Amino acid sequence: MSFFAPFCIPFLAGVVVMFVLLLGKWGTWFWHLPAADKQLILRGIPTKYTWRAVKEIVNESLLHRRIFRVNPVLGYMHMSLAFGWFLLIVTGWIETMAHMGVRWVPLQGHVFFRYFSTGLEHKPVFDFVMDLLLLFVLSGVALAWGKRFASRRMGMRRTTKHVLGDRIALSVLWFIFPMRLLAESTTCALYGGGSFLTGGLGDWLADHVGTLALMNLEGVAWWGYSSCLGIFFIALPFSRYMHILTEIPLIFLRHYQLRSGEKEKSFDHFQVEACSRCGICIDPCQLQSVLKINNVQSVYFLRDRRYDRLQLDVADNCLMCGRCAERCPVNIDLNTLRLNSRDTLRNVPDERRYDYFRGIDRSSGNGKVGYFAGCMTLLTPRTMSSMASIFEAAGEEVWWADREGGVCCGRPLKLAGETDSARRMMRYNTELFYKHGITTLVTSCPICLRVFREDYALEGIEILHHSEYILRLLQVGRLKLQSNTRRYTYHDPCELGRGSGIYDQPRAVIEAIGELLEPAHTREDALCCGSSVANTAIDDVGQTAIARSVAKELDATGAETIVTACPLCKKALSRGTQTTIYDLSEIVAGAIVGNHSTTQKK
Amino acid sequence: MKRAIIIGGGIAGMQTALQLKSQGIESLIVERESELGGKLRDWHVLFPSFTPAADVLSEMRHKIHATGIEILFSAQVADFSATEVRLADGRTLGCDAVVVATGFSLFDAKIKEEYGYGIYDNVFTSADVERMLNEGRVTKADGTTPKRIAFLHCVGSRDEKVCQSHCSKVCCITGVKQAMEMKRLFPDADVFNFYMDIRMFGPGYEELYREAQLKHNIHFVRGRISEAGPTIDGRLQIKAEDTLTGRPLRMSIDMLVLLVGMRANDDNTRFAATTGLQQAPSGFLAPRDLFLSNVKSPVAGIFYAGAVSAPKSIGEVINDGSAAASAVAEYLNA
Amino acid sequence: MATINFGYSISKPRTIDIDRNNLRKSNEILREMPELQTCIGCGSCTAICTAGNLTDFNFRKLHTLIRRGEYQGAYEEINKCMLCGKCRLVCPRGINTRGLMLLIKRKLGDY
Repeated sequence: MSFFAPFCIPFLAGVVVMFVLLLGKWGTWFWHLPAADKQLILRGIPTKYTWRAVKEIVNESLLHRRIFRVNPVLGYMHMSLAFGWFLLIVTGWIETMAHMGVRWVPLQGHVFFRYFSTGLEHKPVFDFVMDLLLLFVLSGVALAWGKRFASRRMGMRRTTKHVLGDRIALSVLWFIFPMRLLAESTTCALYGGGSFLTGGLGDWLADHVGTLALMNLEGVAWWGYSSCLGIFFIALPFSRYMHILTEIPLIFLRHYQLRSGEKEKSFDHFQVEACSRCGICIDPCQLQSVLKINNVQSVYFLRDRRYDRLQLDVADNCLMCGRCAERCPVNIDLNTLRLNSRDTLRNVPDERRYDYFRGIDRSSGNGKVGYFAGCMTLLTPRTMSSMASIFEAAGEEVWWADREGGVCCGRPLKLAGETDSARRMMRYNTELFYKHGITTLVTSCPICLRVFREDYALEGIEILHHSEYILRLLQVGRLKLQSNTRRYTYHDPCELGRGSGIYDQPRAVIEAIGELLEPAHTREDALCCGSSVANTAIDDVGQTAIARSVAKELDATGAETIVTACPLCKKALSRGTQTTIYDLSEIVAGAIVGNHSTTQKK
Repeated sequence: MKRAIIIGGGIAGMQTALQLKSQGIESLIVERESELGGKLRDWHVLFPSFTPAADVLSEMRHKIHATGIEILFSAQVADFSATEVRLADGRTLGCDAVVVATGFSLFDAKIKEEYGYGIYDNVFTSADVERMLNEGRVTKADGTTPKRIAFLHCVGSRDEKVCQSHCSKVCCITGVKQAMEMKRLFPDADVFNFYMDIRMFGPGYEELYREAQLKHNIHFVRGRISEAGPTIDGRLQIKAEDTLTGRPLRMSIDMLVLLVGMRANDDNTRFAATTGLQQAPSGFLAPRDLFLSNVKSPVAGIFYAGAVSAPKSIGEVINDGSAAASAVAEYLNA
Repeated sequence: MATINFGYSISKPRTIDIDRNNLRKSNEILREMPELQTCIGCGSCTAICTAGNLTDFNFRKLHTLIRRGEYQGAYEEINKCMLCGKCRLVCPRGINTRGLMLLIKRKLGDY
């Protein structure tokens, strides 16, 4: 049996081109990985990480469980296409073996087996299974069509606007399986075989189309099927469908602990090209939902970065709130990639910058506990005075790092992409902390908290957000609070919640005082106040519009008091509502047993 | 007999009622409080002539009582149309025209947290100062005499950060007036006014400003105070940029007075939504136009008088009341 | 100390000569951020400034000079800014001061 027909050429050409390009790309990326990353891979291969990666590949690349969690219909669509196609290939392989025994069959022999197997004895079980799988895939294709034309019904308010290459690949992909159905059905019509789907359609064709026309149609259909496959394979490395195959090495590398950092590196390629441009990141973006900005979301950012046409205005226009990353089905580290793009576009190392960081220590007090208010907290003096009351009530000796002004923590500059200059601030503050011999560092600003934890190397100093610190005081009984019957609602600051994983501590503190009501979007899904320091692009009107939309949800809880735990969120939300916004420390200071300071509510 | 209902018994509402009466039209004043006068009740003397607010108020009240204009006290308006006013307690009052004279709200200085109102003892608002002047006892919180007083202009005015973009117009001259009063009370004290722009738009205002500088040695510093904080010895420290020298400035003071702006009433939004009135971007109710129909709302039979439509001085509010009355008379007699 | 030293010497004319100054970059900056024209020079940004608290950095003066076409020394001066964002929180005109800072750096430093 010869397993060759001229119509196989487009398919074979496509496969060859795809694999050459793919290996070229991956090879280059692996080659350029930093030595440390290569070490991690080598050390990781013989460990349990490999098995975990395989498990994740089955769960995500084939079954798409994370998408299922976001949206079951979308999950089914992706699963039917990916897992269905995979099963078609595997079952097709087994079918070939069942017919031919264990022997070498060229690739096109497996793929177009129905065409070549007309002379063989039928195996109805395989016919049935293959038809069932084809139906499974076709149902996914139908949903994909539906998604294009009626995305809302699929639970997505918006879908991605694609580039030309993607549109070609997408259109071809839509026709691969309908063409396969047509091709196999015409063959069944002429030579019999097939099950309920291809066989049924074949019977219908045999009844309604003349034999000569059928023979012509068969040729056209197989050529069409093969061409669709060929074009798709050639388009794949250039289009978003690169994600299908790139996600696999990405998952392995991630399990071997490779991570993106503040500087671009080769590993980023795996992340960038693993984006399927599914567009799930668009809906949670408040720049989209509130401000109708439609070209900056992670999907567009990654697209622009991949095709080397990223502009600062796109890279800059992001709150880095992390709501999209929370939902990304490929778990791409979206914020870090955006950060290192900003670094590439903007960072100008300047060794003389901030030379004035000398002899400017204006800290006061003495204690093992240091309090770093943060720049923003200096604008919310009620938070400062409340922290003073709390320290006093707990009998804590405190070193005040920046009450009279200090050097910024460095995160705002880092988020803008000037990472090298930010390091200079970090060095200054690190030396300052060690000089004063503190063992605990408390801050009221989640922005500072995050950079202290992630970028400062503060060995021997425990870093706490004031919500964690206060809760600890309560737990060990150093602080006693008078509970009341008020109802509170809590706004999760992005840098504290999604950024640092601190959700429960502020809630526990509030519940020690009164009743806590949750807003519609909360915890991992909490909204951003809109004034994030990560965004230098949107204007004041935009910030206020977002603040209004967030405050509206908080007001809708019916709570008398809105609480947050970030000075920036507090300032931002105050602009969106008539309700006073309190920092966590204020309601704590107001509830300290025996304390009747002015911080108490009127 | 046709009747107009005037919502609000402040200066604007009272003047409208009096003028309607003189044109032979009956009116009913619906007042939220238990007495007439509105915000003027809390004021001490009026710029630029230092006329006691009580003199103006008592004369108007006297006239109202003399003419027997009907007043409904302690009545909250829920909503209204040109022919009907519904009260919060469910009562419905019929009428032929409505004059909205609900005035304004004072900006809540606590929102500008960095100025320390409600946190530190010796931070006051201009309204607090008027009240203290009325009570005849202006002192620091501990009862002692201030040696150094700072006024800050534009608190809650021209400030995008608190969503109050408009100029409240009367705070500049109020700041000058109160600074002079302080200086008269405490001749040894230093008084500093921190401003962004000084807007002296009214008759005699510029002269008063000059007098404050010339005769009372009041210092005007061009720069907006950025923050106030406590000092170790219990005073306040304020920071600003002295923009005319281009250098940061800090000073210790005994008293900080925040010249709070005029804010549109929250009710305006509800009235606009239920009655078809229009709000200006500032939140105040916008008249049909700013010239020939400047006391008429876009809805026939509903009129505006006073600061409900924009920040205004007492004199302007009284003019507004008369103008609104004329417009109502013209409407009812048509 | 009294004023910012933008690096020009005594012999240079003190006049801001709008006829001579090249306003191209200034105009570009204003085109990208028109709200800068709304600055009323209240000085809040400068009074609150974290860097201004430690140095003679004066943001209000800096961007005003740039608007007049006086760019000399401005890039070095702007590098004192830590981009902490306090100024943006206090600006009564709602100017995107952090964005402006980066914009000025981009226009004057050409990255």
